[in-house]
Amino acid sequence: MNFRDIFSLSLRNLLQAKLRTVLTTIGVIVGVAAIVTMVSFGIGLQDNLLRDALGRIDLLTSINVIGPGADAMLAMREGAGDGDNAIGRRLLDDAAIDELRSIPDVRYVNPQLSFDGYVRFEGHTRRIGIGGAPLIVSDNPRFMNILAGGHFSSGDAREAVITERFLQRLRSKSIPRGSPPRQQGGEAGPFRQPPTRSDEERQRDARAVLGSDLIMLTLPGSGAGGAVFGIPLPAMTGFEEQQDGDVTPGFEEHRFKIVGVLKSPDGIDFQLGGNQLLYLPFEVARQFREGSSDPLRQMGEMLAGGSGYQGAEIRVADIGRVEAVKEEIRRRGFNFISLGNQIEEIKRVFLIVNASLAVLGGLALLVASFGISNTMIMSIRERTREIGIMKAIGGSDGEVMRIFFVEACLIGVAGGVIGVICGWGIDRIANLFANRWIAQQAGRAVRHIEFFSIPWYLSGGAILFALLISLVAAIYPASRAAKVDPIIALK
Amino acid sequence: MSILQAREVSREYRMKAETVHALAGVNVSIESGEFAAIIGTSGSGKSTLLNLFGGLDRPTSGEVLFDEESLAPLTSRQMSRYRLASVGMIFQSFNLIPTMTAAENVSLALAFAGMDRAGQRERVVALLGRVGLDHRRDHLPSELSGGEQQRVAIARAIANSPRVLLADEPTGNLDSRRAAEILDLLDEMRRSEGMTIVLVTHDLELARRHATHQVMLRDGVVIGEERMAGGTP
Ligand SMILES: Nc1ncnc2c1ncn2[C@@H]1O[C@H](COP(=O)(O)OP(=O)(O)OP(=O)(O)O)[C@@H](O)[C@H]1O
Ligand SMILES: [Mg+2]
Repeated sequence: MNFRDIFSLSLRNLLQAKLRTVLTTIGVIVGVAAIVTMVSFGIGLQDNLLRDALGRIDLLTSINVIGPGADAMLAMREGAGDGDNAIGRRLLDDAAIDELRSIPDVRYVNPQLSFDGYVRFEGHTRRIGIGGAPLIVSDNPRFMNILAGGHFSSGDAREAVITERFLQRLRSKSIPRGSPPRQQGGEAGPFRQPPTRSDEERQRDARAVLGSDLIMLTLPGSGAGGAVFGIPLPAMTGFEEQQDGDVTPGFEEHRFKIVGVLKSPDGIDFQLGGNQLLYLPFEVARQFREGSSDPLRQMGEMLAGGSGYQGAEIRVADIGRVEAVKEEIRRRGFNFISLGNQIEEIKRVFLIVNASLAVLGGLALLVASFGISNTMIMSIRERTREIGIMKAIGGSDGEVMRIFFVEACLIGVAGGVIGVICGWGIDRIANLFANRWIAQQAGRAVRHIEFFSIPWYLSGGAILFALLISLVAAIYPASRAAKVDPIIALK
Repeated sequence: MSILQAREVSREYRMKAETVHALAGVNVSIESGEFAAIIGTSGSGKSTLLNLFGGLDRPTSGEVLFDEESLAPLTSRQMSRYRLASVGMIFQSFNLIPTMTAAENVSLALAFAGMDRAGQRERVVALLGRVGLDHRRDHLPSELSGGEQQRVAIARAIANSPRVLLADEPTGNLDSRRAAEILDLLDEMRRSEGMTIVLVTHDLELARRHATHQVMLRDGVVIGEERMAGGTP
């Protein structure tokens, strides 16, 4: 008997007892809808947490590769068998940066270039962390929150992008406690005061400094200076802006025009290596760094023959690919830090949560499977004679069995599909009410939140599971049908 | 040449207290093209023997042969193929599927043979025409008379062109007029298509009129056998 005939026989049997079929199918629908609704809530929660909450601060898609530093390079150079310390510490030079850029799913690689320098602004001179920034910073979260202005006009422009904290720092009368200041010239810890001023005030302050100049001070003749840019060495300090008594004459001055002000993040700043208060075009910063690093460090670099960059920030295009990219970076022998490990942790927790929800829904489906068994046993009892006839005219045990398995499949698939649709409907309605409730609680319009998520594997899996359960439920009835003795059935 | 043969066939039913010997060492040979009648009183084992011939049952001992080949080694699946294509059966109670029309009942036998839909439709028309029921194709069994139902059953039994038609008291539920028509139809099929007919009946008159070979059973034993002229064509 070909499948089409088996299928139409099964369908015919089901339609003959419509009410019974419908009731049995409702059992499956309830089970599947329960699974879909509950698990979709779990997945939705996970998505919201991963994509919306954590993904937005771009923590988890960022990987910070760390260069070995001059001392490590020296150590490696001198003793290949230096052991653990040398393992996985590759030089972060331009070639390495290019290599990192070539890794799939990497959106950008920004080599980190930072140093401490003395900067004069509005008559105050402070030691601050200075960083080099690439010319193109679109979709780099560090440069996305602009209070005023924009970005450098070219790669070698004498322009600077400052942060809000730069202004706070330069304008503060008090010297940060615990001097000498920390290596990167930073403030203590990532925790900041909550903003006390409104966004408008902050923007106004930021706009006020746009276009004004800040001055970087370097020791005369030290490294890059002005010579690098083909500009004659600028005048010595002391001829102007004498009001700041801290500055001793005899320094080289380099003027930078402020073209942008970045908003300092509120709350916790997780950005790794984010202590720069001032950004210069990358190549400009590179020259200054060479000039302004301390002599011991310069010596180390000379001994090691160049230590490359201190680090590089890698942005992964897709949050889901972070682990793969990390693995690739590890494989290529780089050291890195990433907060992204938490993704795995969160995923693990949600796997357990979702599995528990699925089991709960699965219980409902299990109950439904008893319904299927019961229905089929009843139907086989009623149709014993029919089964006997089919066997008498040449139907094999297998064919009889197949008819009943297909019946169960039809109930399972129909219940599964309708159950998924119902689950989706329940999700939509629940989502609507949840959002309405939240808006009510908040007393104003809030961002619409998607609480549920039904990925294809959930709907497909639920239907498949319903099908499987139905098949299992049909094993006993179908084998009973196959064992019907035609002689007895036809008596 | 014998198409169906029972060799020392016994069929016992083991009950709690005793063992019923439905058949006890039966030897019967049915030649191709015969109209054989198995006659006996109720409980003599006629149906038991017919079911063994029809592959619905297996003997406790002895063997049944079809076309000189034993059915004993057949697997259950092979046995179902045997029932499908080698023999056709009709019964006293017609045994049509009540929810299927005449055409669907006949079609089912063709479907088990794996015939495609178009082939089934065509063949059903021919078969129901053969038994004179063109106009009743889409009727449910409940909408047909007993005689008509038995004709549908005959159409179904011969659907896959078996060489033997086994009939277990096919006229038991019919009046003498319809009974005669059914037996005439069977006889006609034997003559025109060379089909072998094995008829179980306790109606000696019917047997005498159509049969070319009579087998008398009593208590599971053959007590007499007679072949008449005009048997094997
Ligand atoms: N399944 C069974 N279990 C026990 N005994 C059985 C079974 N089937 C048949 N018998 C017995 O076997 C014997 C022969 O039965 P069978 O049905 O072959 O008789 P029959 O000649 O067809 O009778 P009838 O003319 O009444 O149909 C009977 O005594 C019957 O009681
Ligand atoms: Mg009988």
